[in-house]
Amino acid sequence: MPLPPASPPAQAPEPAAAAIQLRNLSKWYREGEEERWVLRQVDLDLPAGEFVVLLGQSGSGKSTLLNLIGGIDEPSTGQVTIGGVTITELDEQARTLYRRDRIGFIFQFFNLIPTLSVLENVTLPGELAGRSFRELQAPALAMLERVGLADRAGAMPDRLSGGQQQRVAIARALVHDPVLLLADEPTGNLDEHTGEVVLELLIELTRRQGRTLIMATHNAAIADRADRVLRVHEGHLVAERPTLAAQAA
Amino acid sequence: MSPADPPVVSNRPLWRLALRRLLRRPLQYLLCILGIALGVAMLVSIDLASGSAQRAFALSTDAITGRTTHRIVAIAPAGVASDDYVAFRRAFPSVAAAPVLEGYARARELDNQLLRLVGVDLFAEAPFRDTLGDSGELGQGFVPFLTRPATGVIAAETAQQHGIAAGDSLHLDLAGRPAVLQVVGTVASDSAVERRSLADLLLLDLSTAQELLATPDHVGHIDLLVERPETLEAIGQWLPPGLRLEPAEARRNAVQQMTAAFNLNLTAMSLLAMVVGIFLIYNTVTFSVVQRRDLFGVLRCLGVTRGQLFSLILGEAALFSLVGSLLGLALGVLLGRSIVGLITQTINDFYFVVSVRQISLSGWSLAKGLLVGMASALLASAIPAWEAMATPPQLALKRSSLEGGWRRLLPWFLLAAALTIGLGLLLLLWRSSSLIPAFAGLFALLMGAALLMPPAVAAVMAALAWLLRGQGVVARLAPRDILRSLSRTAIAVAALMVAVSVIVGISIMIGSFRGTVVTWLDQTLQADVFVSPPTTTANRVIGRVDPEIVAALHHRSDLSAVVTYDNIDVRLPEYDKEVTMIAAGGDVSGGKRPYAWIRPDLGDPWQAMEDHRGVIISEALYLRERGDRIPETLAIETPQGVRSFDVLAVFYDYSSDRGTLLIDAGLAEELWGPTGVASLGLFVAPGGDADALAAELRSSFSDRQDLLIQTNRALRQGSLEIFDRTFAITGALQLLTVLVAFVGIFSTLMSLQLERGREFAVLRATGMTPRQLGRLTLLETGLMGGMAGLCAMPLGFVLAWVLVHVINVRSFGWTLRIALEPHYFWQSLLIAVGAALLAAVFPALRLGSTNISTALRQE
Repeated sequence: MPLPPASPPAQAPEPAAAAIQLRNLSKWYREGEEERWVLRQVDLDLPAGEFVVLLGQSGSGKSTLLNLIGGIDEPSTGQVTIGGVTITELDEQARTLYRRDRIGFIFQFFNLIPTLSVLENVTLPGELAGRSFRELQAPALAMLERVGLADRAGAMPDRLSGGQQQRVAIARALVHDPVLLLADEPTGNLDEHTGEVVLELLIELTRRQGRTLIMATHNAAIADRADRVLRVHEGHLVAERPTLAAQAA
Repeated sequence: MSPADPPVVSNRPLWRLALRRLLRRPLQYLLCILGIALGVAMLVSIDLASGSAQRAFALSTDAITGRTTHRIVAIAPAGVASDDYVAFRRAFPSVAAAPVLEGYARARELDNQLLRLVGVDLFAEAPFRDTLGDSGELGQGFVPFLTRPATGVIAAETAQQHGIAAGDSLHLDLAGRPAVLQVVGTVASDSAVERRSLADLLLLDLSTAQELLATPDHVGHIDLLVERPETLEAIGQWLPPGLRLEPAEARRNAVQQMTAAFNLNLTAMSLLAMVVGIFLIYNTVTFSVVQRRDLFGVLRCLGVTRGQLFSLILGEAALFSLVGSLLGLALGVLLGRSIVGLITQTINDFYFVVSVRQISLSGWSLAKGLLVGMASALLASAIPAWEAMATPPQLALKRSSLEGGWRRLLPWFLLAAALTIGLGLLLLLWRSSSLIPAFAGLFALLMGAALLMPPAVAAVMAALAWLLRGQGVVARLAPRDILRSLSRTAIAVAALMVAVSVIVGISIMIGSFRGTVVTWLDQTLQADVFVSPPTTTANRVIGRVDPEIVAALHHRSDLSAVVTYDNIDVRLPEYDKEVTMIAAGGDVSGGKRPYAWIRPDLGDPWQAMEDHRGVIISEALYLRERGDRIPETLAIETPQGVRSFDVLAVFYDYSSDRGTLLIDAGLAEELWGPTGVASLGLFVAPGGDADALAAELRSSFSDRQDLLIQTNRALRQGSLEIFDRTFAITGALQLLTVLVAFVGIFSTLMSLQLERGREFAVLRATGMTPRQLGRLTLLETGLMGGMAGLCAMPLGFVLAWVLVHVINVRSFGWTLRIALEPHYFWQSLLIAVGAALLAAVFPALRLGSTNISTALRQE
């Protein structure tokens, strides 16, 4: 799908991407007397601006790893450092604010707020940061323009198709210029063609601005587009290979 | 399975699912159980407490009635002359007859317990009362009981409780007059019921009772044992003027009639709490259905029948309503024990003398509570159960379609509200003296207002969403979220509105009542000092002021006027009821008494009454039976037969709901014979000091009679204390209704917020801080509370209007002026918003600390 030209960032640009370090990152849950390990002692260094794909079967721990990196879950042990900020050492409030300002999330089930219009969903992160709707309107519309939905800005989410909803979710995740974008099965709930369009859009919008993108998926075809592929198996990062894209680069 | 075999249907897996859900969401069910329990507890406690007072009176009356079939009673207050009793025995030697004289006294040695003093002729007793008639019971006490003056017998249990033995003295207070009595024996019974009936009795020989009660030549009534109608007819023909023959149960019936309105009002109040409870049950069950729509869809796909789903929901409701109702019964018994004192006090103040030391557990009261609790829960669950049954066997039906369906129903809600309100108005306009249509009308108005809520919430929230479109995201989200969950939010707002309107309505009613009474007391009580024997009742005096004291007061030069009052119970044949007749020697209001009506062309009704041209009646005398049709004349039973009197005026009287009539003391004496003086109003001569006079009278009369001597200020204050005491029970019920409502609102709002966990998790993942989420939650519940509070104001006023102008008039025959004060309204708004905000605190805290990734995984 041809993309509209990118608009200039609304604010003075911060570093577009952030390097990520994971140290001894583990997550387990207690089930009765037993501990169920979801992630085991994960260590990883990702340079800024990389597109990383996390492959793995359902229940392998991909989503947990994404949630830990995004700070919406807390590790049992270990550290997550993004752009020099160790977010696992931040309190809940600071972690939330960091997430609000620096990270963008895209979910499998879109997770748009049903009582907010398309435009309001996109202005949401900025408004939560205390900026006015009026101030955010222009960049949000520009972002919607870039995902091809400017004409649906006033519509409510339940009036959109799944693909359109996911495009709104991408716009919402990118509108505040995050240094890191986390996408959890962003095409998992879409048909093949729509999924392809959404993926194309997502990669285009992140790569063009050199953002770090971590995407969890079990679609191996997506892996070929990534700089790096990590495989999560039973809580371990068991395989790592450079991709065609990385080799080409 | 052959085609003829019925299909095998097992509900076991469904029950397992229900149990799992209960274990996962225990708080939701616990709150619902608590709501039912509180509603049932109120109903049961009121029923047990007022029933206990009624039963105590009935038991005590039955103990005295025994096997009596009929009574000869006197129309004149002095009682039946002893000579008439002797004449009766001579005329009907074969008819069993026993004279009885009753009164009340307090005994110092029994912790000032109020005793029902009963004077009997032991030789005539045997056919009537086993306990009293069997002289063997008295043992050694038999001889002194008959032969020695000032002796008496009390219940063995009472004696044991207070360490009284035969030969001990009892120091009695008989309406201020002291007397000493020796206990010569005790009576006991093997039956627990009979023991309770005897507990408050002090049995005396007739002559002792006559001496103590200062009626040497009279008895109270003559008990008869008559089976044959022809004998009754003969007795009727024999009766000399001034005596009347009545069935033995007439007295108990009269007492029941007297308190029927009082009891019904209390029951209606507790039912009001149950109505709020029904909302709560409906809410909980609806929630449990809505939350499981997907599950029901899957179950239907897997072959679960509609009937199975229906019985699952109703079965769940039956189970928790049973638990809630049983808990309510236990709570009701505990609560009943606490409020029985309040109810007994009011009954003593206004109706009859009764002493209740413990509540009697009535199986019927408990069964009624259980039945109402369970029936309410099942009724409230039927609609959501029906909805569950209609769940299509697919997963596609989403919440949005449910809410869409609700929005399509909005016009029907309007129609249903209009019809229900119309029905309520028709019931209220129905000119019936019965309270049932009035309460049914009141409940219909409340239901109608509740039905108006879904369209009202939709309209207001849509308008707010539009108005707040330029505001921050939290402000914009709140009204839209309420609108989006209309099926639940509207019910929560309706429940809160109904509960708060009850608070507003009752506050206005009590405030108006109090204001009216204060004004009435100010205008009516003009004398400076009031004198009466101490009394156990608030609205009439039992006992008389010593005639020598009355004479002494009349001769005092420092008084400008002395007003005397006496109260006599008289029968009105046209109304078939007894009312209080006040024989007035002067006007205690000094001519300032306000009248509701004065006969046209009559200047001063009081003067006309003093000229023996008729009587002045209270509103309560006719309002209940006749509505606002003021009677031209009033027929009153006198010892000389029924006499008709012109009604000169109607006065306000908030001290009695049975009806009062004022008659000149001279005319009363002429027709009913000499009675006495029950109370006096003293007007101090100019320059005199009322406080000093009261103090002086207290000390100078103390050796003759222990009198209650109060200044005007003290009497008014005392009257208002009685008023406040009377409404203490209403206040307690009001508080419990608020509690039920709060539990309802808390559980509703909590469920509402908690079921949106995933949506909130998205907001949190997007960067909403716990504080912002808390603000959103509080704003949503605050908006709902605010709307409920605002709508409760007009509804509360309507409720107060109906209570004051319809229910009060039909219950007690009193007209009141509605007094509106701003604080009734803003307090209601504060309560509604406060309850809603408080209910949001827990969900807000919980949502703030919820693990976002866990919440996001919820589907």
